[in-house]
Amino acid sequence: MAATPFPARQLSRRSVLRGGLGAFAATAAGVPLLSACGGNESGGNAKEMSFWNFYGPSDDQGPQSKWFVDTVAEWNKNNDVKVKLRYIPGKDYLNGTTLQTAFQSGQGPDIFLISPGDFLRYYNGGVLQDLGSALPDESKKDYLPGLLEARSVDGKVYGLPMEIEPLAMYYSEAAFESAGLSEADLPKTWDQTIAVAQKLTNSKRYGVMFETLPGYYQNFTWYPFMWQGDGNAIKDGKSAFDSPAAVQALKFWGDTIKNKVAPRKALGDGGGDVVSNLGSGAAAMQQSGIWAVADMRTKAKTFKYGIIPLPTPAGGSAATDLGGWAFVANSKGKNPEAAAKFIAWALGSTDAAGVERQRQWNTEVKTNLPPRKSVQQAADAKGAFADGALKKFVSEIAPTGKPEPRFPPEVYQPIADAIQACQLNAADPAKAAADAAEKIDTFLKTYQGAPIS
Amino acid sequence: MTRIRVLPILAHVLAIIAVAPLLWILISALKPAEDVFNFGWPSTWTLDNLQYVLLKIPMPRFMLNSAIVSVTVTVIALFFHSMAAYALARLRFPGRGIIFSGIMSTLLVSLPVILVPLFLVAKQLGLLDSYAGLIVPSIFHAFGIFLLRQYYLNIPRELEEAADLDGCGYWRRYWSVILPLSRPVLASLSVLFFLANWNAFLWPLTITRNPDLRVIQLGVSGMQGQYASAWNLILAAAVIAAIPTVVVFVAGQRRLVDAMKTTGLK
Amino acid sequence: MVTTTAAPSKPLVKASGKPRAGMTRKRREALAAYAFLAPDTIGLLTFVAIPMVLAFGVAFFKVDGFGNYQYVGLANYKLMAGDDQLWASLRVTAIYVVTFVPIAFVVSFALAMLVRNHFKGIGWVRSAFFLPNVVSLVVVGLIWQFLLVDKRGALSKILAPFGLGDVSFLGTPSLALGTYVVISVWFLMGYQMLVFLAGLKDVPKELEDAAQIDGAGSWQRFRYVIWPLLRPTSFFVVVNSTIGAVTGLQAFDLVFVLTKGGPARATSTVVLYIYEQAFTFNNMGYAAALTTVVVAILVICTGLMFGVTRGGRFDED
Repeated sequence: MAATPFPARQLSRRSVLRGGLGAFAATAAGVPLLSACGGNESGGNAKEMSFWNFYGPSDDQGPQSKWFVDTVAEWNKNNDVKVKLRYIPGKDYLNGTTLQTAFQSGQGPDIFLISPGDFLRYYNGGVLQDLGSALPDESKKDYLPGLLEARSVDGKVYGLPMEIEPLAMYYSEAAFESAGLSEADLPKTWDQTIAVAQKLTNSKRYGVMFETLPGYYQNFTWYPFMWQGDGNAIKDGKSAFDSPAAVQALKFWGDTIKNKVAPRKALGDGGGDVVSNLGSGAAAMQQSGIWAVADMRTKAKTFKYGIIPLPTPAGGSAATDLGGWAFVANSKGKNPEAAAKFIAWALGSTDAAGVERQRQWNTEVKTNLPPRKSVQQAADAKGAFADGALKKFVSEIAPTGKPEPRFPPEVYQPIADAIQACQLNAADPAKAAADAAEKIDTFLKTYQGAPIS
Repeated sequence: MTRIRVLPILAHVLAIIAVAPLLWILISALKPAEDVFNFGWPSTWTLDNLQYVLLKIPMPRFMLNSAIVSVTVTVIALFFHSMAAYALARLRFPGRGIIFSGIMSTLLVSLPVILVPLFLVAKQLGLLDSYAGLIVPSIFHAFGIFLLRQYYLNIPRELEEAADLDGCGYWRRYWSVILPLSRPVLASLSVLFFLANWNAFLWPLTITRNPDLRVIQLGVSGMQGQYASAWNLILAAAVIAAIPTVVVFVAGQRRLVDAMKTTGLK
Repeated sequence: MVTTTAAPSKPLVKASGKPRAGMTRKRREALAAYAFLAPDTIGLLTFVAIPMVLAFGVAFFKVDGFGNYQYVGLANYKLMAGDDQLWASLRVTAIYVVTFVPIAFVVSFALAMLVRNHFKGIGWVRSAFFLPNVVSLVVVGLIWQFLLVDKRGALSKILAPFGLGDVSFLGTPSLALGTYVVISVWFLMGYQMLVFLAGLKDVPKELEDAAQIDGAGSWQRFRYVIWPLLRPTSFFVVVNSTIGAVTGLQAFDLVFVLTKGGPARATSTVVLYIYEQAFTFNNMGYAAALTTVVVAILVICTGLMFGVTRGGRFDED
């Protein structure tokens, strides 16, 4: 039946019956398929591994796509077990069903990308492969402190970060000039942010912009504002969300909307997309990540902008979130050992070619902070962080950063609901925080997975 | 008399309002990138956006895939549905009521609800990542059976009986009497089926991984991910995705009303 | 009668067509019917019924999304009572249904009456109303995102002179659901209009003319001639749009493309919530249990409508 899309005229009743019944029988035989899915191909040593990602080979064949294609080609040249890239557009990868459906039916990719927010979900599902055996000690030591720990459980490393992505506030020089403001007016506190944003807001432009679409990304961009008041979502295994720090951060985001100085809906791909928002003139200040430097370089070359650290509350201290995606291997995949080796080679090699590959990714085709010391040195030698926004990211912003927390969905969701309700629906921050804290506590009481950081 | 004058004018005005969003998209897709948010008639027209989308992105390939899938599904589905509808409308057999209710009850099930189990079934049948996977599960839908059955209920029995006198079997009756009579309704249903399959998104997204199998809706949705800031290109892709459906509809629209009428949707 | 070339392709039916010893006409007719029904029935069983049964079965398990299953009995159902997000999303769906279904009904019926009789350019007018339905929901989502862009979108430009230039239709919780109702009506009105047109053509012109001669006003003609004859069509339209509004394309695709359930869950319909449970939280078991509840609600609703209107005509010949 599967291979019979022939014209209706020639369709034979018998073949349809046979095919149909065959299909039926196959399905019936597959009823234990519910319990059988997952492990049936595990531990294999197949000769081809799939690598799902949202970079390449993409239709626009940009430099980031090319880096993925070239890296895989390089590996395939020297290895028996080949890697095959599968590109999934970012939106479908992040919010779609593709990855989840595949894993639910035991058809997950062999190698894929995950963000810290997704780490525990996949770890607790038992599909992450320990990369330890493939990763030499010298390469482990090359990573900056804390990075591997954020992707480890019980000392075993399950993911290698490809980048560090701190958040900052971008501002448009043209917007400041047209509003008669100068660099001296750049906000340092939350109150100043709203006051300056008021001056920058006009009929075509919002003064400041935060992410508005619910999702992991929005939570990621909001955490720093909670941290600035020394708050946290979880402390000592219990919810700490019902705190003044979280409440004031919720209130701050809500105030930007209440005062009509921030948009309720971002353009393009949302808060992470500086080109569509700041670059198009729709926002005068925008919170976003270091990756936007490369985006602006390729898509809005002449646009003049600067960055400042995220403004802080009165009496607060600077903080930012360090994002960053990691390569992980599927322990139930077709060849987990080889997948681990590929990851260790692609991201962790300490030889000259490996360092150069990482330098290319982190400073040439994309802008990130390199997660490895040797790569950072190589990048410094080329002057990658000598001036401009990138220099500020390295010297001023990244040192105040904390790695993105790895919250499971049950912790992420109550926080997301609180953020959305306070930001867009004028909810009472104190009550929203208390509600969220209660839900998190309920969940933590029965949680049995790996430690939440 | 005045009322008769007023109503057509009102109809024309409302029609313009209804298509205004679509026209606006078309116009915007023909504007240069920097003008895309300019609210007004474009100062210059350009085909660059359409050209870029057609040449730099495998849009033609996406469209070919969608065409293959939509046409195949439409043809097979109409054939199967008309057979089933014929049996349900014209033949007497034990269990007819139950089978008909069973078929109709599947109308309550929607794709998002059964996505994962359906994926498991497709996997078990070896349909993943293939044209067959895009086509076969999309064929079966009770709506077409229902409409055709309604239509067949209204065909006068005498026509069939004449064939019966000639000693024709049931297949022959179906093939040479019923099927030719269903031409108009099949034509209109083929428009609806083609549109539904051309516009399908969630299932193709779930079942295909091979980029060469991407259908047009996936291509457009992917555009949004890659060219988030380039509304001019996204709109151009949207226009290209919509053109075949508009053409099919305009070509088949007269039949649509007529056939719906004869289907006796009631 | 059967030609030799065609014979191999339809043995079952052919057999039933020729009188055979010991086979009554009744039996042959039944056999033929089963053969005719086989392809669609098997297909629907394989691709709808079995997945549905699997989904219902999963409702009794805790499923983690990676193929690990654990039997939990009715635990998934017990969770529902305390799940306020579920109740919130049921509320969203309920509001959506009770606004969308009647508005779409009235609008499409009015359009059908408007384009019922011939006038100059009627072809284009009918097409224009149907055209939104021709475009895919992916494209519809793109179109409205573009038109409703804050401050610079076409709608903001149109409303700016009235001081409404900075209204965010998709970003304000109190407006988002309404916006989504309007877009759904725009999308679906042409289709329903066609269905009504089809129904209206069955209203015999003579009957109406006779009524007019008898001095019936247009309202009376509508009330006593058109409406009773349109009841079955209306039933179909209402059932169809209700199902669509609860689990169908608009309930999922459109929300997914436009707002992802936001802002602040204002457009989080129950199907979207099920989808989130299944794919964001990996709670396939809970999602399946929710599915059974939604389907049960739908069955009850359609059953009620069926009973009240007696308009179903599903089971008569």
